[in-house]
Amino acid sequence: MLKLAIVDYAIIVIYFVMLFALGFFIKRKVHSLNDYFLAGRRLTLPIFVATLVSTWYGGLLGVGELSFNYGFVNWLTQGFFWYLVYLFFAFFLANRIRKTNLYTIPDQLERFYDKRSRFLGAIFNFIMVTPAPYVFSMGLIFSILFGWDLWVGILLGTIVIVFYTIRGGFFADVYTDFIQFFLMMIGVAMIIPIAVQTYGGFDFLTANLPETHLTITGGWTTQMILVWGFLAFWTLADPGFYQRCYAAKDDKIPKKGILISIGFWLLFDICTTFTGMYAAAASNAGVLVVESATTSYLSIAGALLPPALLGLFLTGLIATVMSTVDSFTFLGAMNISHDLYKNIFKKEATEKQVMNMTKIGIIITIGFAVIISLFFDSIVAMWYTIGTIGISALIVPILIGFFYKRKKSPMASILSMIAGSGTALFWFVNGYLNLDQWGWPQYIFGVEPMYPGLLASLIIFAIVNFIHVRRMK
Amino acid sequence: MDLAYLLIADAVALIIATVVLTYFFIKDFFKRKT
Repeated sequence: MLKLAIVDYAIIVIYFVMLFALGFFIKRKVHSLNDYFLAGRRLTLPIFVATLVSTWYGGLLGVGELSFNYGFVNWLTQGFFWYLVYLFFAFFLANRIRKTNLYTIPDQLERFYDKRSRFLGAIFNFIMVTPAPYVFSMGLIFSILFGWDLWVGILLGTIVIVFYTIRGGFFADVYTDFIQFFLMMIGVAMIIPIAVQTYGGFDFLTANLPETHLTITGGWTTQMILVWGFLAFWTLADPGFYQRCYAAKDDKIPKKGILISIGFWLLFDICTTFTGMYAAAASNAGVLVVESATTSYLSIAGALLPPALLGLFLTGLIATVMSTVDSFTFLGAMNISHDLYKNIFKKEATEKQVMNMTKIGIIITIGFAVIISLFFDSIVAMWYTIGTIGISALIVPILIGFFYKRKKSPMASILSMIAGSGTALFWFVNGYLNLDQWGWPQYIFGVEPMYPGLLASLIIFAIVNFIHVRRMK
Repeated sequence: MDLAYLLIADAVALIIATVVLTYFFIKDFFKRKT
């Protein structure tokens, strides 16, 4: 538990009061389902950037752990590879997505193929956006800060998020994201100058870190780097990216917005990476006590920052997690209400019924995540990998839908989704049945489940599409 | 020159960029209201 001054507590309390107040007043902005789902498709450039940047970051403690343990390679694997995929998204997908005027990824699947693809896509989407790991992190941060039991922090964070998201829908999501964006950027940025002033410049890092911490590859093998790096493909089927593109005010904003966001991510990633490295160097030099790599950010912030600035930093840390939990929760709710309820089970549903179903969906999505976090904590650690099973199913049909202009078979889409997810699931289960001595899964050929999944999905799509399209003719 | 100056420049650039974006957000917000 960190020692905080009254002013630090006050800053955290003010943050929560602001979220409550925003939740209270935001409801008056919602006049239609379009407002509730996509903020009336009126996102301007600044808010598009803020909501995208803040939602994307959920695992700040994980980034701290990587940079503490391995150094600069964190930037390569958690930053550089992702920027390349963001660039692809910005130039080739963003504006196309906006022009379709749809709401979700399953909407695209129905446009390209048929309702069955929508149905399957919605299920995989729901798995990907279940915010269980972030709900867990939220509880963990509160327990470290205040010494509370895990469930108290989870419950408090959940109540606040449910309150403002139910009342204001996507409006509440993006406006709270702006507050959270501001706090996380300022909070993380201010620690670097203070660390340099307190500990010294690069000489301090080179003197107290293993040599590999300062190399770009961190002493990792090429395969390890690629395994981490290629996880960036996640972006191509990320529901949060799609949702923000749909919600932009015009079809120019998504591309511009993603390019500006890359600038923010770049500056931010350098700060987070070096904060972790300073924590490691100070710990090695014996001038900082770090309990664990995961909480290294909290240790260095507690040691360096004066009251008020510490409160601001910690609020930024809480905001980073909460901005992801609220956005994922709302995405899951839209899967339930828009993709399944309205478009599969009850086509004649009115706007009011769909909106009410979204509110129920918010409670179902976050409730499911809370149950997993509280009672199945061993699953939380693997949830990211479980999410990549969804990626294995979705990327091939989506990209082919956007870029392959000739006739496409709906059957190819369904079978490729089943083959992709099935292969990834088999790989995943096999890996966890063969744990190594440290308890890590040993995957076949040492390859992460997403890659064989993507390959199987592509091969099945190509074969089935070739046969089926010929038959259709 | 100590490379740490680049690090500080990075952090300062992040703060300035955040403040500028916030300024434009607030400007947009009030423009829409009037």
